[in-house]
Amino acid sequence: MTETALEAIGISKRFGGVQAVADLSFAVPAGSITALIGPNGAGKTTVFNLVTNLFLPDAGEVRFYGDSLRDRTPGEIAALGLLRTFQTARIFPGMTALENLLAGAHRQVHFGAAWQMLWLPPALREEASLRRRGEALLDLVGLSRFRDVAATSLPMGAQKLVEVCRAVMAGPRLLLLDEPAAGLNDTETAELAALLRAVRDIGIPILVVEHNMSLVMNVADQVIVLDLGHLLARGTPLEIQHDRRVIDAYLGVEQEAV
Amino acid sequence: MLELRSLESGYRDLTVLHGINIEVRTGEIVALIGANGAGKTTLAKAIAGLLPVRRGQIMFAERPVERLPPRERIRLGMAHVPESRQIVAPLSVADNLRLGAYAQQHKLGEDGIKRRMAAVCDLFPPLRERLEEAAGNLSGGQQQMLAIARALMLEPRLVILDEPSLGLAPALVAEIFRLIVSLREQGIAILLSEQNAQMSLAIADRAYVIEMGRITLAGNGRELLGRPEIAERYLGVGTAAAADPRAVEAQHVRLVHGLKAILHDG
Amino acid sequence: MDQFAQIIVGGVLQGGVFAIVALGITLVYRVTGIINLVQGGFCILGALCLYSFQSDLGWPLPLAFLAAVVATTALGALLGAATFVPALARLPNSSMLMLTAGLLTFINGLALVVWGSQPYAVEAFTGEQPVNVLGILVPSQGFWIAGITLIIILGIWYLMTRTTLGKAVVACAENPTAARFMGIDVARLTLFSFALAALIGAIGGAAVAPILSLQFDGGSFFTNAGFIAVALGGMSSLPGAIAGGLFLGIAEQLAAGYVSSLFANGLALALLLATLLWRPQGLFVAGRARRHDVRDELRVARSVIRPGARTVSVAALVLFLFLAALPYLVDPGFMSSLVITLILFIAVLGLDVLMGYAGQVSLGQAGFMALGGYTAAILATNYGVTPLVGTLAGMGLSLICALLLSVVTMQLKGAYLALATLTFGLLIDSLTVGLTGVTGGPSGLVGIPSFALGPFVFATPQEMYYLVLAIIVLLLVILTGGMRSGFGRALQAIRADQTAAAALGINVPRHKMAAFAICAMLASLSGSLFAFDFHFLSPEMVSTPRSFELIAMLVIGGEATLVGGLSGAALITLLPILFQPIALYKTMAEGAILVLAFQYLPDGMLGGLWRLIARSAAATPAIADGTVAERPSS
Repeated sequence: MTETALEAIGISKRFGGVQAVADLSFAVPAGSITALIGPNGAGKTTVFNLVTNLFLPDAGEVRFYGDSLRDRTPGEIAALGLLRTFQTARIFPGMTALENLLAGAHRQVHFGAAWQMLWLPPALREEASLRRRGEALLDLVGLSRFRDVAATSLPMGAQKLVEVCRAVMAGPRLLLLDEPAAGLNDTETAELAALLRAVRDIGIPILVVEHNMSLVMNVADQVIVLDLGHLLARGTPLEIQHDRRVIDAYLGVEQEAV
Repeated sequence: MLELRSLESGYRDLTVLHGINIEVRTGEIVALIGANGAGKTTLAKAIAGLLPVRRGQIMFAERPVERLPPRERIRLGMAHVPESRQIVAPLSVADNLRLGAYAQQHKLGEDGIKRRMAAVCDLFPPLRERLEEAAGNLSGGQQQMLAIARALMLEPRLVILDEPSLGLAPALVAEIFRLIVSLREQGIAILLSEQNAQMSLAIADRAYVIEMGRITLAGNGRELLGRPEIAERYLGVGTAAAADPRAVEAQHVRLVHGLKAILHDG
Repeated sequence: MDQFAQIIVGGVLQGGVFAIVALGITLVYRVTGIINLVQGGFCILGALCLYSFQSDLGWPLPLAFLAAVVATTALGALLGAATFVPALARLPNSSMLMLTAGLLTFINGLALVVWGSQPYAVEAFTGEQPVNVLGILVPSQGFWIAGITLIIILGIWYLMTRTTLGKAVVACAENPTAARFMGIDVARLTLFSFALAALIGAIGGAAVAPILSLQFDGGSFFTNAGFIAVALGGMSSLPGAIAGGLFLGIAEQLAAGYVSSLFANGLALALLLATLLWRPQGLFVAGRARRHDVRDELRVARSVIRPGARTVSVAALVLFLFLAALPYLVDPGFMSSLVITLILFIAVLGLDVLMGYAGQVSLGQAGFMALGGYTAAILATNYGVTPLVGTLAGMGLSLICALLLSVVTMQLKGAYLALATLTFGLLIDSLTVGLTGVTGGPSGLVGIPSFALGPFVFATPQEMYYLVLAIIVLLLVILTGGMRSGFGRALQAIRADQTAAAALGINVPRHKMAAFAICAMLASLSGSLFAFDFHFLSPEMVSTPRSFELIAMLVIGGEATLVGGLSGAALITLLPILFQPIALYKTMAEGAILVLAFQYLPDGMLGGLWRLIARSAAATPAIADGTVAERPSS
């Protein structure tokens, strides 16, 4: 029995007359990549916003490693180690690629502003260590040539990688990725997939919303399909590919295994 | 219908397009394939007249248009479906459509606009039901329909689509592509700029590959689909990693070790 | 009862003035998302032009009115075409806000050059005889103002809701990229709305001219009132602008009638602060909120300049040696100006932490200077407290005010934050002038002792110079330590994208509060030193125009560079002293410099210098493999 990283229990959300999410339950096991797919408007982004408390659910509860997230602010949830990325890469403009990564490591800074301003050795050591790790991560994903370049001037593929790396630098206990492959070509998507698998295998579970089936089929351990706010199907990528309901509601045609 | 001759364009201190030659004929879908940053969106903007042309020519409907302002080019029958749906969220669907014919509003008059709106709604029945709703309330797929419908308000001779499949579910992408094919049947010339090489090459009559602001390959759509260099660069197959399971494994081990070292250091 | 009715009539009249300014501000805000501070400038130009055409040239009223409106609108269109519209495509909203502040300063300066500093009065259009309505005397001009306001409102309403042009204007505001692809000329429509705002301002200004005393800096008065009215009413609502204007006018007249005219202004400002806290979207509207992160830099591809650590150390050392040697290099008569430069730089330094790093706009920096200056000066002069303790007390008080204000501003973003700080500054302005018993009122506080540390008295400019220099070196070391590490990065992340920063676990409110506290305390320190240096402190030395001046210094010098502001402070402080003949043109030049710096020197003088060094050394390899990123569409 593996531990459950994230568990949604009967969450619901209405907007006006629209039931965006209806009595939805799912779990993200630790050490897994779970993909959340479904037609546009199925409620995937709403699920993300409910999990991070950007919206409060009308009913139901979200648990993160067993703790209820009900009364937590989005900031507190991030501080717990539940980190999300955004549909359009929200790289910090005006900062270099390395600085973006270091900003991600903010959660790990123990010697705060006062220590830094007085140039005290513990803060200096921490800063040097962060820098070393940031540079190592850029090197690892093949972006070291962009270290001191304004991150927003990077190609889209590199920006998406920087965004994922920035979240990884925070040392998260769960990553929520919102369409990380949107706008990437298939080659860039393959690079992203390799990174995601590695992130999973160092013990960071991932919940990913994605339309790019080649990414989903490549990396997901479990696929959850939403339609009109309801759970339509759940299973391994292989099962989902051949699920009649999923094909009708979402895929349109049977997907080739990639 | 559209012909670019040695087109050079870019931003203030940056030339992005270096001598582009492209031709789109009436009743033809021409796909433009390229990575992000290769210059696809820049090209769309240059054709629209939103970026200055440094050198070269844009021939549209048998006349040079590179010195004309955007509005004049649109009046000649050039319509755009810009990247990422670009609708005006707070305005109603009807007002969005109305603005689609903005460049011709004086020629058309109120009746003409109403007539075209009715014609466009025949193509997109879901829009008709929501004409008075704010465009921002439409779902992603409907917004993309609206963006295309808005372009058709001009009764264009050429439609330039920039990444119409971005962020859409597979079933919807298929629907949008069917729609593009049906536009061709009405005799509209189509320039389709896409990341999704697989699908766009499948429906294109001809295709160009753009890399770093230059056209590096051109040919028949299906023929390009079979080319190994296309498969490797744009379809994600045949890359060193995908070809060799051992290389994949080695890369994986390297990444895992690297990440572990980084996260558990200090 | 009669008195009450009379006050209400006065309030409605005054409110009409505010409403007209507010309408212009709302119009431009709807189209561009920019709070257009120059609006009041158009009003005063319209009014002053009317005076000149009527009294100096002897033209009949209708002709003079028409000519005044045409001249002002033409100038507005010219300024819009030369500055506002081209800048809109390149600058983030916060810079645009300050660009319009620069334009307002420019117009104030222009009016000073043309009309001088004396007040003017214009005759009422149809005689001074008030009209008796049911026993209440209504000035005849009131009917003109009401009628003209009504016509303006109807005109705007028709344009925005009933014409395709109005829809195109909405499209430009909401999605300029889409608008361009539809063949809408965004620049032209923006210019159109800017010029339309100038037209409204000119008509309104000319209409209200007879009931006001006109002076060159009246534009600031109009803008402040309009700004408050807009905020009270709701930022992007036309009816809200009118309601806000009327509400403000009546409230002010009631306060003046029943309490004291001294507090009328203060009351309005307190009202505004309360509104911002309670209903930031405005009192009268529950309109849809627009995106108003002022620093939405997403549409601007900001270049990044990062000189290496060694370059920085060497440059810092050279700069320090130069500053230390400076007193021996210049004429002794020049020393006091150098001291002022350094003192103001301390306030700019604080502003850099808040604006340059954290991306929050404060238009109330001079308010904190006043707090620090007056607290220290009053304690030292009247209560025999040592200057050091007085200075620290001022900083403590500023800290408290900053934290209290944070409670308001933490819920606010962008434009509203700028608004709250401006309100705070104006409130302090009215207190320093109004509390005559404590502050000495407009004539100022005299006999302030020199700064002293124990037995060491810093009496000469030379001594003061080295004291301030030492403080600055200390501050720079401390701030550099913070800004180069996690704290500074967190602030920059907040500036870049608040939502994404919060999603990374950065505590956004706490960081903003810290930046604001640092900013306020440094301003306070600067204000105290200012008072001890001058031995005199008057309200206009530390009033709102000074806030704009400090921003200009920062922007010209270079944001997020810490030391950059020094060059800005030096330029703005020393130039008028070096070239005495231009003193009359100082205000105009300051405005022009601010506007030009925003447009042509986005990284400031220091940024420009780094860029030059970097380019000549080819130290910034463009993106290595030649991949070209497509710029964000703008």
